[in-house]
Amino acid sequence: MHIDVRHRPAESVAHVKMNAGESIRAESGAMLAMVGGIKVETNGPASSGGLLKSLKRKVLGAESFFTNTFKATDNDAAVWLAPRLPGDMVVHEVNSSHELMVQGGSFVAAPMSVSIDTRFEGLGGLFSGEGLFFLKIHGHGPVVLNAFGAIDAIDLDGELIVDTGHLVAFTSGVGYTVQKAADDWLTSLLSGEGLVLHLKGKGRVYLQTRNPDEYGKAAGRHLAPIEH
Amino acid sequence: MRHRIEYGPAFAWLRLRLNAGESIDTEAGSMIARTPSIGMTTRLNAGRSVGVLSWLWSLIVALSRKFLGGETMFINTFTAQDDGELALAPALGGDIVRRRLTPNLPPLIVQTGSYLASAPGVSAELMWSGLRGLLSREGLFFLRCTGEGDLFICAHGGITEIECRGGYVVDTGHIVAFEASLDYEIGAAGSGIKGLVASGEGLVCTFSGVGRIWIQSRNIQAFATWLNPNL
Repeated sequence: MHIDVRHRPAESVAHVKMNAGESIRAESGAMLAMVGGIKVETNGPASSGGLLKSLKRKVLGAESFFTNTFKATDNDAAVWLAPRLPGDMVVHEVNSSHELMVQGGSFVAAPMSVSIDTRFEGLGGLFSGEGLFFLKIHGHGPVVLNAFGAIDAIDLDGELIVDTGHLVAFTSGVGYTVQKAADDWLTSLLSGEGLVLHLKGKGRVYLQTRNPDEYGKAAGRHLAPIEH
Repeated sequence: MRHRIEYGPAFAWLRLRLNAGESIDTEAGSMIARTPSIGMTTRLNAGRSVGVLSWLWSLIVALSRKFLGGETMFINTFTAQDDGELALAPALGGDIVRRRLTPNLPPLIVQTGSYLASAPGVSAELMWSGLRGLLSREGLFFLRCTGEGDLFICAHGGITEIECRGGYVVDTGHIVAFEASLDYEIGAAGSGIKGLVASGEGLVCTFSGVGRIWIQSRNIQAFATWLNPNL
């Protein structure tokens, strides 16, 4: 399997080339085009484990309920994938040395050798407005991630404070705590930053240069109110 | 202070390297990431004024900036207690550009929504653009930036710098900033009422004189107008 991402960072698209027998599982609606012998199967969500876990992923993980699996029956088959929002995509190779925590909504595709679990990050997430719902990804193989905006990859060895809505993914060597943006609640609120994540450790961190919620609010100001 | 603008023009962000003791003023909500050695304080977006009722004036100016200028009410000042890094970006999609201001250059007039960040030596004063502003649809206020230091402006779309020598006509929705040495007049693109409506251009700003103009390649109003019937 070979994945390459083109037209970065604004209008990215992923080209997935597969040989007979290989398959890739993608969030529903991601397929633009395909060529060669490809069999498409629609399944329940990617995580292993029963209905309850799947429902949890739908409600909490911001991923759609269904995924599609594209299986190549010939050599040199290919699928073109893209997310709904404009922005960047990146391929992260996961292996037995680490796990990848991905913000719900940022997962595009991965082969079956990669497993996906939901993880609920506790009550702190409820207050952040961003929802600290992450998908825990482990196994081995390429994982295609998307973002709103451009993706900046940082190799962290130390500490970094990050606005929660701008965090795309990070590896398991990086720990985090939720904290107020400033020392007091009033300043945190007025500063427009709200809650931030204090990251500490060693690993890879992916940030996005835009935030869908902020973009929606800023653009929404210019739109006409919706009549009901 | 060192800076780098990356990922332009569509989703640009501003990366700053601050030395211990240095600080930068930023539009509230624009922070993406920072090293813990950089602390943050927040104040009303009203410039620095002294006086007995300065807090009241600050509040009035900040409120008018919010409701008429399209900007948030508060400015976050990031100060480095130790060497550190800071990444900033605006909410909408587009490019970021730096303009180094000095007392020798004419003041820079910046559309209020286009302010991203500035060095402490730069003062960004809210300016009433008069009746011309009423027509411009961009808001009644501009920011008049003077002083010494870096000013970072952002836009909706790509930013093009134009040297005006004599005259230039710019669609009002596409103006990001211009030097105060220029004179300007706002009017219809075509002639008469038919021109105003049928040309699809709306209002334009006719600049005269010598100076620089920064324009953006997209227009959030036009985008919203297109999007509205689809919602």
